[in-house]
Amino acid sequence: MAENRMIRPVQVKLIVLFTLGLCLLPAVVYFLPGYQTSLDTLAAPSLEHWLGTNDIGQDILTGLLIATPNTIGIAVIAALLTLLLSIGVGIFVATAGRKLSGLVLRFIDILQSIPSILLILLVSVWLSPGMIALVVLLVATGWYDDVRVLRAVFLRELTRENVRYASIGGESGYYCMTVHVLPAVSPVLVGLFIQHIRRAALMTAGLGFLGITDTRLVTWGSMIQDSLNYLYTDAWLWLLLPPTLVLCLFLWGCLTFGQRFERYVMTGARLSV
Amino acid sequence: MVLIGFVNRLLIFALLLVITFYLPRLLPGDPLEVMVASEYTRGLNAGEIQQLRIHMGFEGSWLDQLAAYGFGILHGDLGYSFRHAAPVADIIIQPLGWTLFLILLALPIFLVTGVACGIEAGRQPHGGIDRFLTGAMTLLASLPPFVMAIGLLLVFAILLPILPASGAQPLFPAQGMVAHALQILRHALLPALALAMHEIVRFFFVARSEAISLSTRPFLLNARARGIYGVRERVDYYGRNIFPAIASRLSDAFSGLISGALFVEIVFSYPGIGLVLYKAIGERDYIVIQSTVLLLSVFILGFNWIIDTLVLLHSRRG
Repeated sequence: MAENRMIRPVQVKLIVLFTLGLCLLPAVVYFLPGYQTSLDTLAAPSLEHWLGTNDIGQDILTGLLIATPNTIGIAVIAALLTLLLSIGVGIFVATAGRKLSGLVLRFIDILQSIPSILLILLVSVWLSPGMIALVVLLVATGWYDDVRVLRAVFLRELTRENVRYASIGGESGYYCMTVHVLPAVSPVLVGLFIQHIRRAALMTAGLGFLGITDTRLVTWGSMIQDSLNYLYTDAWLWLLLPPTLVLCLFLWGCLTFGQRFERYVMTGARLSV
Repeated sequence: MVLIGFVNRLLIFALLLVITFYLPRLLPGDPLEVMVASEYTRGLNAGEIQQLRIHMGFEGSWLDQLAAYGFGILHGDLGYSFRHAAPVADIIIQPLGWTLFLILLALPIFLVTGVACGIEAGRQPHGGIDRFLTGAMTLLASLPPFVMAIGLLLVFAILLPILPASGAQPLFPAQGMVAHALQILRHALLPALALAMHEIVRFFFVARSEAISLSTRPFLLNARARGIYGVRERVDYYGRNIFPAIASRLSDAFSGLISGALFVEIVFSYPGIGLVLYKAIGERDYIVIQSTVLLLSVFILGFNWIIDTLVLLHSRRG
């Protein structure tokens, strides 16, 4: 039987460690020589510049060390906020009256048929978003995709015997939610969270590639964009490959972890990270 | 249902219209100055600027302005680009044709490949073929459209220069009709392939999961027992039953294709609507950006309304 499984603390610890590591990266960057321009333009990888330099003499490795926490940080924060918002709306829709929830769901129908890339383009062209504006944009265009799924999940859990028993026994709504409902739906939430990280990283890289984010915000996408002019020289080897590999590796990691997690929840297969 | 879908999309269009109208007006400063601030308009005197203000619809109350803007767009007046010194409609019509051409070229590639691979994988879930295909598709899914496009460009146009790297046709096109058509096709091949790659994954996973659930159905067991295999099994037994799921996925694929085309055209310098948009972003040509986004949204909304309606009619038939 596909029974819901709770998440083991080990996995939570791993995720926390991973996030902490990412937060520490900026500290590493702090001790490095800054992402400064120099006369050493388009230098091939050497002992001095491990991954070479770009067309204005910035060290690629330093760029990567700055771009990685930027891109992943934006993705993780955006995913977290997106999920929180959709959980809130999901609970609201699951518990509100028929008319009110119908209205909200219909509004979500409308939002879902807006092609989000166009909306993001339109707004970001005017704002040229930095980190915060980018997160807001990603959250604003991402939350409504999950509400239907979450509504179904919450409805299922809220009508279970344990929740009814607890609420008849006089427990508060908050208690029922945190003790009975949220742990039971946690696998779904983690699955959605991973999907959102992937989507947000893809979007951040894409917008960086289009060059409409704040030019001071170094992301994998903007580094890839910088390399486009040098495809005809050998410099693509160190300009293009490092950010592309890191980006694809990250996206692949999210995808395979998501798939494994799904299999683990469905069948109880071992979850190896 | 058909009508509700239409009304929904009309509402979205109205919403986008209002957003494109208010965004420039919400920012600090004079929208006119932001919109036309460039060396092309520097030498204007106060009277001319006032005239421009009226011409561009920045006079009167906001409601009047909104109404004028909306009516203008409904009449096909998309605005005037000072950078190109041409009406926006003239700038974006031809590129739109190139983009649609790319999409039409990519469509059969990703539909056939994606669905065929999906059926092959779903026929024997967790078998050798399935594991190989799913792994490959997962890898493919991790490549953003621009990475895929750069990869193809690098391999097939620069390292092994067998296909053209940029543009939609040579600078001096061949004289004959057939030769010219071949040249256009050669130029479109790599961009269309890059565009298709991204969608193959999506249709692979849809087809695979549908095929897996079909594989357990009695009619298929029966068919196999009767000795039906090969193309007939895959097309008549799997293909037909997967069709509705594929068709309904096609309706939101169009939006993905447009955004994919945006990235692919930039990498290949393909003169489609994506490149126009990209250049306009670089030049901060707001009028072109707004109108392009509006036009694209009309295409996307219209297309997925048509597909949704067709799927609905098909399912109503039973």
